[in-house]
Order: sequence, then structure tokens, then C-alpha cells
Amino acid sequence: MTLSAEVLPESTLRDAIGLLVRLVESAGALIIFIGAVWAFAQFVRAGMRGRGKVAGFNRIRLSLGRFLVLGLEFQLAGDVLRTAVAPSFAEIGQLAAIAAIRTALNYFLGREIAQERAEIERSETTPPLGAKGLPT
Amino acid sequence: MNAWLQAGAVLTTGLGLVAATAAWHLTRAVRGGLAVLLNFLTAAGLLRLASEPSWDSIILAAAVIALRKLLGASLHQSSAKRTTHGGARPLSPGR
Repeated sequence: MTLSAEVLPESTLRDAIGLLVRLVESAGALIIFIGAVWAFAQFVRAGMRGRGKVAGFNRIRLSLGRFLVLGLEFQLAGDVLRTAVAPSFAEIGQLAAIAAIRTALNYFLGREIAQERAEIERSETTPPLGAKGLPT
Repeated sequence: MNAWLQAGAVLTTGLGLVAATAAWHLTRAVRGGLAVLLNFLTAAGLLRLASEPSWDSIILAAAVIALRKLLGASLHQSSAKRTTHGGARPLSPGR
């Protein structure tokens, strides 16, 4: 116990994990923000290009969903790191609530991505027959 | 970092409003624009959740995500009903 306290004091561990959590969560937030800006640019470009053309619409949504899922994975990694040092029950409760929200959202986004991918594949394999409606 | 994340969340919400308008213009369907807006609102909620966690921000993020799921499910259900009953109004490029 004394040896561990000398080699790696709790305050140092706390600082190191705090830094790592900040880095990982910032990376997740940055990915989400970049995805939003990228999707915004794509939607505006596609919207200016022409009315009623929905071919690229689902692809852009799919890409935005992938960015969100990737960012969420980083934020969940931050949550896992945070569990290493959670001194009070209030902090643990908040952490559990945030992790639950992120896990549920990750699950739902994953399902949506799979659905949209299946719809894109279906629309690519079947002939359009004049129907240009929104698949979702 | 909190100020940056809050600013990013507000900016994402604004971008979402413009992108939803563009998506509506693109698809000529309200549900297309609404789905895009909900995606951007989710992104904004996640950015807000990444800043200093408090019970208020947690409840807000959970409410946005629950609302998003509810609206998304109802949109999906209405589109499925239209497809199965064949009552969908075809989207023509000219409209």
C-alpha cells in the first residue's frame, strides 16, 4: 500500500485520468461537430443543386449518423476512464445516467444506420419504376 | 472548454435549422427535413452533454433524445403505413 502510494499517488492518477478524459471527450465532441458541419455543407450543396432529387439525401444522413456514432464511442471511452476515479455517489450517479443515455443512443443510432443502409441497398438493386419518394 | 462546447452546440442547432430547410427543399417532404433537424439536435445535445455534467443538462439531453425517438418512430410508422396502403403521394421533381 505504501509502495503503491509512493510509486503512483492518488492525486497523480486522478490528474492523469482527468487529462485523458478531457482529451478523449474533446476528440468525441470534435468528431460530432465536424460531422454536423460536413453534413450541413452537403445538405446545402445538394439543396442548391436541385429540387426533388433525393438520391443523395439518405447517404448524407447515413454519414452524419456514422459521425455521431463514432463521437459517441469516444465519449463512452471517456466515461469508462472516468469510472477509475469517481469519489462521490453523486458523481457516480451522474456518470451512470450519462453512460446510459450514450449507450442507448449508440444502440438506436446503430439500428438506424443498419436500416438506412438496407434501404439504400434495396433502392440500388430494385429498379425505380418512377417512384422517387423518400424511402424512410 | 465548456464555453466552446456550449457555442458548438448552439452553432450545431443553427446549422441544423438551415440543413433541415435544405433537406425539405431537396426532398419536398416535411418528414425529410424534420428527420435531419432531429439528427442535428441530437448532435447538439451530445455536445452539451460533453461539457461539465449537471443533472439539468442530463435531463435535457435525455428529453431531446426521447423526443427524437418518439418523433422518429411516428415518422417511420406513418411512412410505412403510406407505403403498405399505397396511399403515398409520389414526389415529383417539379413540385
